[in-house]
Amino acid sequence: MITVQNLSFSYGTKGVLKNISMELKGGNIYGLLGENGVGKTTLLTLLCGLKAPLSGTIDTDGRFPFDRQPSLLSEQFYLPDEVAPMPYRAYEFGRENGKLWPNFRQDLFLSILQEFEVDGNHRMDRMSAGQLKKTWIAFALACQVRHYFLDEPTNGLDIPSKAQFRKAITRYTAEDSMVIISTHQVRDLENVIDPIIILDKEDVLVNASLETISRKLFFDYGNEIHPEALYLERTPGGAIQVYPNTTGEDSKVNLEALFNAVHAHKDVVKALFQQ
Amino acid sequence: MKNEVFNGSRFWTYFKYDLTQMWRYHMRAALGIGLSGLIVYVVAVAFGLIINHTWAAPSFIARVATFFTAFAILELYQTRTYGYLTDKQKGSAWLMIPASTLEKWLSMMVMTLIVIPLVFLVSFFAVDSLLCLIDPTCGGAILGKTSELISAFQAKLGEANAFYETAWSIRMFIGICIASYCANFLFFLLCGLCFKRYKILAAFAIIFVLSLLFSIFFGFFGMGYMEQNFTDFADAEAFLRGYLRWTTISSWIMAIGLGGGIYYRIKTLKH
Repeated sequence: MITVQNLSFSYGTKGVLKNISMELKGGNIYGLLGENGVGKTTLLTLLCGLKAPLSGTIDTDGRFPFDRQPSLLSEQFYLPDEVAPMPYRAYEFGRENGKLWPNFRQDLFLSILQEFEVDGNHRMDRMSAGQLKKTWIAFALACQVRHYFLDEPTNGLDIPSKAQFRKAITRYTAEDSMVIISTHQVRDLENVIDPIIILDKEDVLVNASLETISRKLFFDYGNEIHPEALYLERTPGGAIQVYPNTTGEDSKVNLEALFNAVHAHKDVVKALFQQ
Repeated sequence: MKNEVFNGSRFWTYFKYDLTQMWRYHMRAALGIGLSGLIVYVVAVAFGLIINHTWAAPSFIARVATFFTAFAILELYQTRTYGYLTDKQKGSAWLMIPASTLEKWLSMMVMTLIVIPLVFLVSFFAVDSLLCLIDPTCGGAILGKTSELISAFQAKLGEANAFYETAWSIRMFIGICIASYCANFLFFLLCGLCFKRYKILAAFAIIFVLSLLFSIFFGFFGMGYMEQNFTDFADAEAFLRGYLRWTTISSWIMAIGLGGGIYYRIKTLKH
């Protein structure tokens, strides 16, 4: 479990995160959403220990990530948005780098590569951006760690690769592992991520499971317009509306509509989820 | 539970990985710098044939000068060996490798101070010896003449010792060489870890500023001290001995300080 308490961070005088508190539990694939520049990548890098908090604490199973203790590093993997083009063939990369992670399986790495339709004999520095990203994703999954921090993993992937990614992330991560995916491409991961964290400038607006979100907000796909809706988007043949769920009725959460509703009515939504 | 600070098997796993990375990225460069003797040889012979129509292998002195020049280039090259750590992508990946800071630092020290210089020395002297084996006009391999050079230097020291009534030893000079070699390599390594761009230029800028400061300092205080304390030649000799001793000690202090600085830098490196 990762516990974040009163976490603050800034780049010089520019504050990014302020008094952020949250709890992240194993067995979940978290979707970390937010506008550009709110600090999604910063939060991920703080959680994995690439940065030190300005104030506040982060506790990952009793350890402080910035101490970069080998036992914690061997249980986590951080995949940045832009990955390094290593001067090896993919299979060599797995063979050499995999030795550093105790649970890494080369056979699994090669089999995920095959599923991703990436040639293991191809040199990584000559791969396309999408192929390179898939090689790194395959490596991360083959490390069989407990915490995955994935920053925009579907960036640069084509449509079939996005489907392959969704399949792989659910298939090759252990049941008790925690995956935190920062993304702008909510549609790419709609059926994968749960719970959802929506980050705002210096605040967490939502940190809730889809079930809780559905209990608090109603996603109406009908034609009847509700003036009290927090968000309304006209679609061909109807509309998507989001409004507080007063009847307790179930609805399918639309992540893009949720994000826009939260973005438009930050205080209302935050208050709703704090109840 | 494994020790979080140092674990032998984890260090060995990481060291082998680091060695592979060094081979892929930098050993070839060290080997290349080591081949500079061959380049100088080819150029000298080619010029001799074109201009004088004679076969003229580079002289012993020229080859020794090539060695020291190549060694200086290898020193500068240390800004690059781990310079990738300041790169966001590669540096992040390195920081996330499951090994402790001490293990990563120790491996870095072994690579910088032993492995890379050793690769260079082996390649340089192998090429030099091979060339002198093939071409008898080269005037003898440097390695073969080392003991001769040491004996000559010892003889000179003996003369100086008899004259000054002191006991200067070759060990003293080797001590200075090793200490300043460590300090120099670690200085350029630290510059590579601290500056994102223009690493060599930044290193030279630091050397320039430090030299300026030391010159001003010694200009003000050192000269006054010498004028007051050294009145005859025997005192100057004592001063020289003290100077050599302090150069050795200060170089070791610098090397240890730089080693500590490198540890601190990688411990606190953020991306």
